[in-house]
Amino acid sequence: MKRFDCLKALASEVKDALVVTSAGAATLEWNALRPTDGNFRVRTLGLCSSIALGMALGLPHRKVIALDGDGSLLMNLCSLPTIARMRPRNLIHIVFDNQVYEASGCGETATAGDADLVAVAAAAGIKRALWANSVESFAQAVSAALRDDQLTFIGAKVETSRAEVPPYRMDEVENKYRFIRHIETTEGIEILRTGLPASYR
Amino acid sequence: MTEHQAAQELLAGLKEAGINLVASLPDINLAELLRALSHDGEFTHVPLCREEEGIGVCAGAYLVGKKCAAVMQNGGFFNSNNAIVSTLLQYQIPLLLLIYYAGDIGDRTFSTSGSMTEPVLSALGIRYYILRQPEQAKEIIKRAQILTEDAKRPVALLLTKEVLGRRPSLGAL
Repeated sequence: MKRFDCLKALASEVKDALVVTSAGAATLEWNALRPTDGNFRVRTLGLCSSIALGMALGLPHRKVIALDGDGSLLMNLCSLPTIARMRPRNLIHIVFDNQVYEASGCGETATAGDADLVAVAAAAGIKRALWANSVESFAQAVSAALRDDQLTFIGAKVETSRAEVPPYRMDEVENKYRFIRHIETTEGIEILRTGLPASYR
Repeated sequence: MTEHQAAQELLAGLKEAGINLVASLPDINLAELLRALSHDGEFTHVPLCREEEGIGVCAGAYLVGKKCAAVMQNGGFFNSNNAIVSTLLQYQIPLLLLIYYAGDIGDRTFSTSGSMTEPVLSALGIRYYILRQPEQAKEIIKRAQILTEDAKRPVALLLTKEVLGRRPSLGAL
């Protein structure tokens, strides 16, 4: 199974969901498939699931999808019991498990051994945690998660391969501003406020 | 001021600063504050397993419009450094850090952590203020929140035993 094929299936399902992508090639592939300002790229390995949790808690009526990797989640396994404890109904945590640190020279991660991230998620208390073994079952799992409004963890074993997609164009600060402006526009709220000069008060 | 009253002052400061989401990990000296926080309906309280994930939770919540604070011991601040650097500082995201100052003057434990706390904050370019007077806590929290929003960088408040009502206050040190 290829990550890019899963992402294609995902792109046709997600509508206006906010999507947080882990450091690595998944960011480029996802932004090629769904280029909107509702995408946020994470640069700290491990933090993808935690940033998505914060968004899900902050906007409980909006779907939030974390596109995590095995290396990333292994670095922040403790986010799983925290997510289970907070149980945001609007969060879908997807892990593309290629069993290597793809962006760091393809050394094996612990999932190349016996570590099973879906079992870990289930044991951490996430009630709906499943492996998707084909693109079709992946699409079904995503569709069910979006429909049922239930915290869901989906693991997908994928090949180590990268799709030919354009490079990512934004730096971190531009990504932040565009994402916040996207939230302001789509939610009708004000997040950023700039101070007026003293003479205006 | 008792520990309970001190916690109420800090809580009032967080409310007046507009904070509505708090991520935390306990220290015995923060216990009363965290108890008060978790029972207060005005905050979304996220109990953490490790402090670094809390930096992510607060960053994510900020991006969708929440005002956040992270409460931890200085050991947890050390745990959080990669996230502080490569998420908060790299993306210019504000965050109020309330850090219990273990190894402060007069403590019999954690002197190594205490001696490294201010140098590491300085090295990261994080402005910090040491809170010793419970009576000043509320106002300083409000001002610190304005500063972090304006600077778009984290700002740290070091919570001493004095400001937490765990040791008599002596005034400025």
